[in-house]
Amino acid sequence: MVASLTRRFGDLDIAEEATAEAFAAAVARWPADGIPPNPGAWLTTTAKRTAIDRIRRESKRDDKQKEAQLLYDGDPPEPLGAIDDERLRLIFTCCHPALAMETRVALTLRMIGGLTVPEIARAFLVQETTMEKRITRAKAKIKAARIPYRMPAEEDLPARVSGVLAVLFLVFNEGYLATGQASDPVRSDLTAEAIRLARLIRALMPQDGEAAGLLALMLLIEARRTARVSASGELVTLGDQDRGAWDAALIAEGHGLVRERLAAGMAPGPYQILAAINAVHTSVRDVRDTDWSQVVALYDQLVRLDASPVVALNRAIAIAELDGPEVGLTAIDRLDDKLAGYHAYHAARADLLRRLGRSQQSREAYDKAIELAGNTAETAYLTRRRNQLR
Amino acid sequence: MQYLVSVIDDTAGVATPAEMAAIDAFNDRLVAEGHWVFAGGLESQSTATVIDNRRGAGLITDGPFLESKEHLAGFWIIEAPDLDVALKLAADGSLACHRKVEVRPFSAEPA
Repeated sequence: MVASLTRRFGDLDIAEEATAEAFAAAVARWPADGIPPNPGAWLTTTAKRTAIDRIRRESKRDDKQKEAQLLYDGDPPEPLGAIDDERLRLIFTCCHPALAMETRVALTLRMIGGLTVPEIARAFLVQETTMEKRITRAKAKIKAARIPYRMPAEEDLPARVSGVLAVLFLVFNEGYLATGQASDPVRSDLTAEAIRLARLIRALMPQDGEAAGLLALMLLIEARRTARVSASGELVTLGDQDRGAWDAALIAEGHGLVRERLAAGMAPGPYQILAAINAVHTSVRDVRDTDWSQVVALYDQLVRLDASPVVALNRAIAIAELDGPEVGLTAIDRLDDKLAGYHAYHAARADLLRRLGRSQQSREAYDKAIELAGNTAETAYLTRRRNQLR
Repeated sequence: MQYLVSVIDDTAGVATPAEMAAIDAFNDRLVAEGHWVFAGGLESQSTATVIDNRRGAGLITDGPFLESKEHLAGFWIIEAPDLDVALKLAADGSLACHRKVEVRPFSAEPA
């Protein structure tokens, strides 16, 4: 099998690794789930998949063009079939609820993303040996505890899909945070990888609203990446971004997905609502044309599904835009006991206090935000805003 | 495949009548559906005795191996084809006895 793969891919390392992975996967899963009808074909297909993933990742790093391609929907949609069933099963196994979140992330990136262990370790800022152990233990647990290698039952699907999407969003956010500082290329690759995997899930589950919603959300956030950090490495907020620098193709694709979900006429889940909010923001050239009443209405929907204080904060910020800073501040202040340790809470307060002319209190809030902020781009932005106070 | 479902208690109390009834119903279900292997509730930690005979000295200590707030109060041994089935059963068990439970596979017997 290595030989035939080498013939096809011309790289012994890739072929060997892919074969080893295929056999390891077989050893892990077949005892639990039974041997597939055509074991040879299963092995070859799995190995080829891993090899293709690996090559994509390698070539992506050499060629900027190829890197851009990964973001866009360059590949024709794959027809659903036995191979896709395999990949779906693999994803659901890697994201099983019996595995810790960090384990699910590591396994998914390794088994489906094709990243090497050193790459995953670097991306999440842990030691290679730690990451190696994490993955080894996970595979051992899958085998010993008999985590089944199969599609979840119909009634379990919503919760399990939600688990997979959470893993992908975590990977995306990890990559997104990395862009604010001098980043390891592997870390900024994570957003591209998350988008690629989200595309895969969407292709495998075209009826799933939240899968579409998450992809749309990622695309609409990624579209603004270059506009989000200034040349001096400072965060540029949504209102100040050069909207000409936004990626029109990604925005168009994101909008298309949001429209599709609206047309489906089903009650939207949180990712779909967040995507819709981002769609409202990205549908105007000038921030002053933003339809804030739409944004608030969407947050009203989101709050009913997700009662977390961060969502409440973002809703309050939107209310401030719609009904004025006084009303917004009242809404935000209600969250004090829950968000006192969160820099964005203080940053939001600081901005509203500034607009209300309460400079001293604004300064204090900026100080608190700066103290709590972890990201150098954000700290630079907050510092400048504070220093502009009279 | 067999799993140990350990009941973790952090109270000093015993099962209430309502809990006992729920546990009995759950046990009946395990038997009926072919998952039952064994189950039992344990007397309190203080009734335990530890024997260490590693060096042939047969050292006896009064009390549990580890005195802890969260301790083993009972267990089920169930037969299930995979972890998903075991977890579903354990979830029902946790609900019935109103405690956290730990699901752990038995080692496979060497061929």
